[in-house]
Amino acid sequence: MMRRTVPAMATLSAVALALAACSSGTGSGGDDAGPDGPITLDYWAWGTAQQPMVDAWNAAHPDIQVKRTDAGGGTDSSAKLVTATRAGNAPDVAIVEYNTLPAMIVAGVAADISEHADGLEEEFAPGVWSQVTFDGATYGVPQDAGPQALTYNKARFDELGIEVPTTWEEFAEAAETVHEADPDSYITTFAPAEFGGFAGYAQQAGAEWWSVDGDTWTVDFDDDASVAVADYWQDLIDRDLVLAEPLLTPEWNAKVNQGEVLSWPAGLWAAGVLYGIAEESAGDWAMAPLPQWEEGDPAVGFQGGSAVVVTTSTEHAEAAAEFARWMGTADEASAAQIEQGQYPASLAGQELTLESDPPLLMPQQEDYWETAAEITRTTIPEISWGPNVNVASSAFQDAMSTAVTDGAPLRDVLTTTEDEVVEDMRTTGFEVTQK
Amino acid sequence: MSTATMSRPAGGRRLVADRPRPRPRGAILPTVVLVLGALYCLVPVVWVLVASTKSSSELFSTFTFLPGSGLVENLGDLFAYGDGQYAQWALNSLVFAGVGAVACTLVSTMAGYALAKYDFPGRQVVFYAILGGVLLPGITLAIPQYLLMSKIGLAGTYWSVLLPCLISPFGIFLARVYAVSAVPTETMEAARIDGANDTRVFVSVALPMMVPGMVTIFLLQFVGIWNNFLLPFIMLSDERMYPLTVGLYTLLSKGSGTPSLYTLAIIGSAVAIIPLVAMMLVLQRYWRLDLISGGLKG
Amino acid sequence: MSAVTDPPSLAYRRARRRWAAPYLFLLPAGVLFIAFLAIPICYALYLSFRGMRMAGGGPFGVRQETWVGLDNYVAAFTAPELLAGLGRLAIYGIIAVPLTLGLALTFALLLDLPRVRGARFARTAIFIPYAVPGVVATLLWGFLYLPSTSPGNWILERVGLDGVDVLHGGMLFPAVANIAVWGGVGFNMIILYTSLRGIPADVYEAARLDGASEWDIAYRIKIPLVAPALVLTGLFALIGTLQVYGEPTTLRPMTSEISQTWVPLMMIYRDAFTRDNLSLAAASSVALALGTLVVSVILLRLTQKRSFGES
Repeated sequence: MMRRTVPAMATLSAVALALAACSSGTGSGGDDAGPDGPITLDYWAWGTAQQPMVDAWNAAHPDIQVKRTDAGGGTDSSAKLVTATRAGNAPDVAIVEYNTLPAMIVAGVAADISEHADGLEEEFAPGVWSQVTFDGATYGVPQDAGPQALTYNKARFDELGIEVPTTWEEFAEAAETVHEADPDSYITTFAPAEFGGFAGYAQQAGAEWWSVDGDTWTVDFDDDASVAVADYWQDLIDRDLVLAEPLLTPEWNAKVNQGEVLSWPAGLWAAGVLYGIAEESAGDWAMAPLPQWEEGDPAVGFQGGSAVVVTTSTEHAEAAAEFARWMGTADEASAAQIEQGQYPASLAGQELTLESDPPLLMPQQEDYWETAAEITRTTIPEISWGPNVNVASSAFQDAMSTAVTDGAPLRDVLTTTEDEVVEDMRTTGFEVTQK
Repeated sequence: MSTATMSRPAGGRRLVADRPRPRPRGAILPTVVLVLGALYCLVPVVWVLVASTKSSSELFSTFTFLPGSGLVENLGDLFAYGDGQYAQWALNSLVFAGVGAVACTLVSTMAGYALAKYDFPGRQVVFYAILGGVLLPGITLAIPQYLLMSKIGLAGTYWSVLLPCLISPFGIFLARVYAVSAVPTETMEAARIDGANDTRVFVSVALPMMVPGMVTIFLLQFVGIWNNFLLPFIMLSDERMYPLTVGLYTLLSKGSGTPSLYTLAIIGSAVAIIPLVAMMLVLQRYWRLDLISGGLKG
Repeated sequence: MSAVTDPPSLAYRRARRRWAAPYLFLLPAGVLFIAFLAIPICYALYLSFRGMRMAGGGPFGVRQETWVGLDNYVAAFTAPELLAGLGRLAIYGIIAVPLTLGLALTFALLLDLPRVRGARFARTAIFIPYAVPGVVATLLWGFLYLPSTSPGNWILERVGLDGVDVLHGGMLFPAVANIAVWGGVGFNMIILYTSLRGIPADVYEAARLDGASEWDIAYRIKIPLVAPALVLTGLFALIGTLQVYGEPTTLRPMTSEISQTWVPLMMIYRDAFTRDNLSLAAASSVALALGTLVVSVILLRLTQKRSFGES
């Protein structure tokens, strides 16, 4: 029997190997061609803009070929990066969202690329650059930026006679008008799982959740600013003036399509997302600066946005850094990004947008990119994320969902989150003071 | 009692067919209940077939069970997505499930036969280890399996998904049950007296008798691997190696920068279940699931 | 199952090979069992006593793996999420397990009745969901649950009633359990049905001649005879319940009521991957695996005593 099984197993192995070979061959132009041939970099990235950018790079760089893999969206991808690094099979280069970058540094995923970063700083606005530098070292090249803005259904706003709100107070009044005029419609959604969105609103109000002095971290989620933001949304939820449900569910998509969700205060990428689910309402939408807590204060926070990092696992650090720099700064890369509705992180790329057509969702809004540039100039320069944003984000999401469901005070969510974050940091051995 | 139950399946069918049917009345309520049950099971399947004909705007705007106008376009989009990734996923699923189930059936059959037909030192230990394996939630093993696969450099390859599927304590368990009931010891003895060695006895005497049991193990394992989600989800990071389950899941959760591709996921689901349902229907009569119920008597 | 004894005429070499034969047959399974079950279990056990701790300066520091004793177990058992998750699991199981088995038994008994029309069609139809992967099944039911795509709500609205949101409030548990029931009924039904078909017809004939109703026959004869199959399907349903992961995970983006720690396996996944705390996840895995074993063994002992009496 044994003798018969062996050939059988060998045949099976051959089949599997052949498949593996043919599948890995489909994506890249050619695999490693020996020590003297071109090198191949593995690159993990999600989103529609990536493949055109990689294709442009490959066409221009025959010696350094890049093979892109979609390892899942932001959360899945960074979770996999950590395990893959520990397992020793991480890619050479990867996209990481700004707020998870510190966790990637602590987990030993992102490499210090300071020695390859000469002259890179001038390519970016200080607020963007601060997202990738920690303790004087550079850990990535910014690629896209997500300053928060208000993407709204202009057709419905006009129909109901609502002016675009410039302060959150006006926003609340508009919410009232909308819901009174049409009980099925809401001005916006408060999605309990949108940790990044809430963080942006709180930063705009002046919150600083993590700060570091020497080796000592200070964690403060329930400061006055954040509590005020929580209370603001609490009031709107209690008065049934906003939808309190997750985003991008079939349910929510249906409401957007029917014009029952009138706005989305989120990163600039919102236009692309909305176009994907409500293509037929293109032309109804427009973008305006995010409402403010104080009249006339121009500050806004970030939501989303990502950097290209070189991993500690790579054997081609220099080539990888060169690719990362190109992805963040080259005009060809920015052009591909803009076409897909992303907002480039580099100053040159943002310059380039001014010559581009507005996003597909609002083809009529001629001043879209000017407004975007205006908003970007006023983003908060220094935002520091802590080493365990992943813990904060999961704790926040669960606590916020429970609070919204059970009608518990939203402000308590901040305290719960802070406690979990501090406990996790203490267990790991960080020096932490809790405010 | 145990041997009596064991020998029953073989003759059972014939007896049932001969069963006289004296009661013409009283069958309406059972029929109604069964039809309701059938409807309950079919409605979601019908839904996905109907929904797959809808364009993305019709999906949320027209009545759920009203067919749409986008079938051809959806199919085109599905197979065009990511340079034909969907076809690759389907092929991967087929390889994982097909190769995995064939190999697992062979491994299980050999082991089950040994446990059923030989008395050897350590048999009891092996049997309890396998019983323990049946009761262990396989899913809790996925994380250590991933780390170990990484240590030997296999994580992220086809092997990392295929190899763990080859061992199925439950398959061994079933093979043992079937070997006990289907392979008479006397026939083995007769073959031995004729001069056959152990390998020969297994290959030419026992194996043909165990074919129906092997088909059952194969199908159970095939469906199990085909439907498996967590193991490939953890092991693989290259989307070109994903099986259908993970591929369809990624369509639904593309992160905040990309909207979920619901239309693609729906047409993808519809296309994915059609061949499997067809296979189930064709192979249904080869199933010997009475094996499972006979299996409790250790 | 009696021992195979060597006929006395066989040569010594032959006998030795006979001695080796069962081990050779078991070899592939044994190697795979050790590689993919035994070693991972031991490794999980080892990991559960380790942890990543700071070992160096700087605000971001460097973390290293070290021994942490029982820290992970303490953390796992004091985590309110684990207890809450087990509680939800219990509610889910109390709905899903009896419903799956009850429906499967009912359908199997009905199929086994003489003179039922459309039995073949019904059997096939009820079995079909088994071929639908859990991820896909959840997607289908998710759409049927959501108010804007739910056919039930469409009808309710047409007759002027308010729609029901089954993914919120008290309907959530039945809604999640329903997906498992839908997927599991057919498989269990076939197991029970084949067992019923295995019972020789003459067993009922006497009862029928005595004028017993089909109900009596089912209750007094058929159900006791398929009790072993019921126990086994019950055991699998129970193990399946403890392993619930895919359905709530796939439903999660559709409702904010399913947390990331809704059931214990989701918490294990979160700790291992989202929070990068493999050792904590390993400790929870070990605890959950032990718990499953204990529950299964207890269930087997109890039911075996009852349904097999002397055997």
